[in-house]
Amino acid sequence: MDAFVLIGTLLLLIAIGMPVAYALGLASLAGAAWGDIPYEAVMIKIAEGVNRFTLLAIPFFVLAGAIMAEGGMARRLVGLAFVLVGWIRGGLALVNILASSFFGCISGSSVADTASIGTVMIPQMVKAGYPRVFATNVTICGSVQAILIPPSHNAVIYALAAGGTISIAHLFIAGVFPGLLLGASLVVLCLIIAKRENFPKGERVPFRQALRIAADALWGLGTMIIILGGILSGVFTATESAAVACVYAFLVTMFVYRDYRWSELPHLVHRTVKTVAMVMILIGFASAFGYMLAIMQLPAKLTAFFLTVSNNKYVVLFLINLLLLFLGTLMDLAPLLLICTPILLPVVRALGVDPLHFGMIMMVNLGIGLVTPPVGTTLFVGCAIGKITIEQSMKGIWPFYGAMLVTLAIVTYVPAVSMWLPSLFKF
Amino acid sequence: MRELYARLMARLYRASIWIAGIAIVVMTLVIPWGVFTRYVLGTGSEWPEPLAILLMIIFTFFGAAACYRANAHISVALFRDMLPPPARAALAMVVDLLMALLALFMIVWGARLVEATWHQSIAEFPWLPVGASYMPLPLGGIVTLLFIVEHAWIGPARDLAEALAADAATELD
Repeated sequence: MDAFVLIGTLLLLIAIGMPVAYALGLASLAGAAWGDIPYEAVMIKIAEGVNRFTLLAIPFFVLAGAIMAEGGMARRLVGLAFVLVGWIRGGLALVNILASSFFGCISGSSVADTASIGTVMIPQMVKAGYPRVFATNVTICGSVQAILIPPSHNAVIYALAAGGTISIAHLFIAGVFPGLLLGASLVVLCLIIAKRENFPKGERVPFRQALRIAADALWGLGTMIIILGGILSGVFTATESAAVACVYAFLVTMFVYRDYRWSELPHLVHRTVKTVAMVMILIGFASAFGYMLAIMQLPAKLTAFFLTVSNNKYVVLFLINLLLLFLGTLMDLAPLLLICTPILLPVVRALGVDPLHFGMIMMVNLGIGLVTPPVGTTLFVGCAIGKITIEQSMKGIWPFYGAMLVTLAIVTYVPAVSMWLPSLFKF
Repeated sequence: MRELYARLMARLYRASIWIAGIAIVVMTLVIPWGVFTRYVLGTGSEWPEPLAILLMIIFTFFGAAACYRANAHISVALFRDMLPPPARAALAMVVDLLMALLALFMIVWGARLVEATWHQSIAEFPWLPVGASYMPLPLGGIVTLLFIVEHAWIGPARDLAEALAADAATELD
């Protein structure tokens, strides 16, 4: 009954259109009122939720990504990708996907990825003779890589939602192969479609020019070296690396690339404030909600329930994947990570699934949720940029969903994809 | 009266964005400074980390209030949009009331938290009471409540109409 009040109130509030963050807060209060838990405790949990050093990594990563995405980085990454794969049949589709892999190295946002890469690539692909719907769908689906490829602020959100016991450095490197696997499966799909539809080949870039393009793009990819190198060598904490990356991104944009105007900066900060404050308050209220869940012993009860259904971890993971795919069509990634992780992680842990591995499953799964209607932020932004309707996108997107689901299945059932790389680094 | 209130709220919005914006910029500068003192000056500083956390609390509660006015919070409009317009308007009223309830909770219980922790001090800043660091909770609650009143009484912020249309998506996911 306790759980019913808590979860039921939450679902009702979300359904009537209350912002998810505040719905979590109000549901926690309803739970506290029902269970005779002092309101002070709820208030303290909200304050504690935003009172952690690790959390600072989120605004820093979002800010660094925003500076680089808007500061001409996207165009340069596309240039580098063109040098590498532009000459293959269907080359521009591959350029699009590879540019998103690179973009993932500077930002963890698939929406920012779609907006930045899409603005450059979709018009270029249409001009070269690719169907507009195909160009848009490649952009949308390719951008999901950004969530997995480090650095990813979503990995930080997962680490927080999991109770802060998982190392962010481990989560970052765990995302490398799932991210690349997603990119590779989309590449294979595009190669098949390109052959069937006889898409054009691009030109080879002369060697000297190629070197110059690569050198130009390397400045941006330096961010990832600072972040991963800094964290893995133990020079920085994740939070420090993110802040240093911000300063580095700022310096490269303003003094190396020099195609961003100083007068644009206040707008950039304004947008970042909105993006980040929205997730911070979500984290604050979600931590109160997580506390209520724990008091009502809901994770333990749910674990017991799942174990009565099946004690085979493959079956349980399959069921959880179905549940998350369904929720992902209705809601965004960040709130779902915050709501579902404290509920589901104990279940899979009881079956021997590593929290790192489960993090990757959730991010691939909920990443698919970003490109599925009725609610898919990346899909909406991509369609707006590609100037097509959601219905048009849907007609051609099924093979892409197929490739993404194959990736999800591999990430779910082959733990080594996520676990091998972190196992090489002992902290 | 409505005009005046809307104008005041537009100012309050700008002030909240400025407060949060300055907080995030300062946070971004003090953390690398801490790294710099540790590795280059070899001294290490105690203050950048707790200062950044204090700024984070300010950032969150003022920024979130501004987000409410700019309609930047994540919500699920799917079911609401299936309803006929009159029902939708009624539901919006209910949501505003529930939002106001939560804002009131933040004001009242946030103030109690401030009061209860006023006599403890933060280790790195002995002059600063723990309670002061929690001040953004009730203050952010007050700002949010004022914005909710504007929304219920006057409607969506007109000065943000352009931004509301352009910023439909966030760069979070």
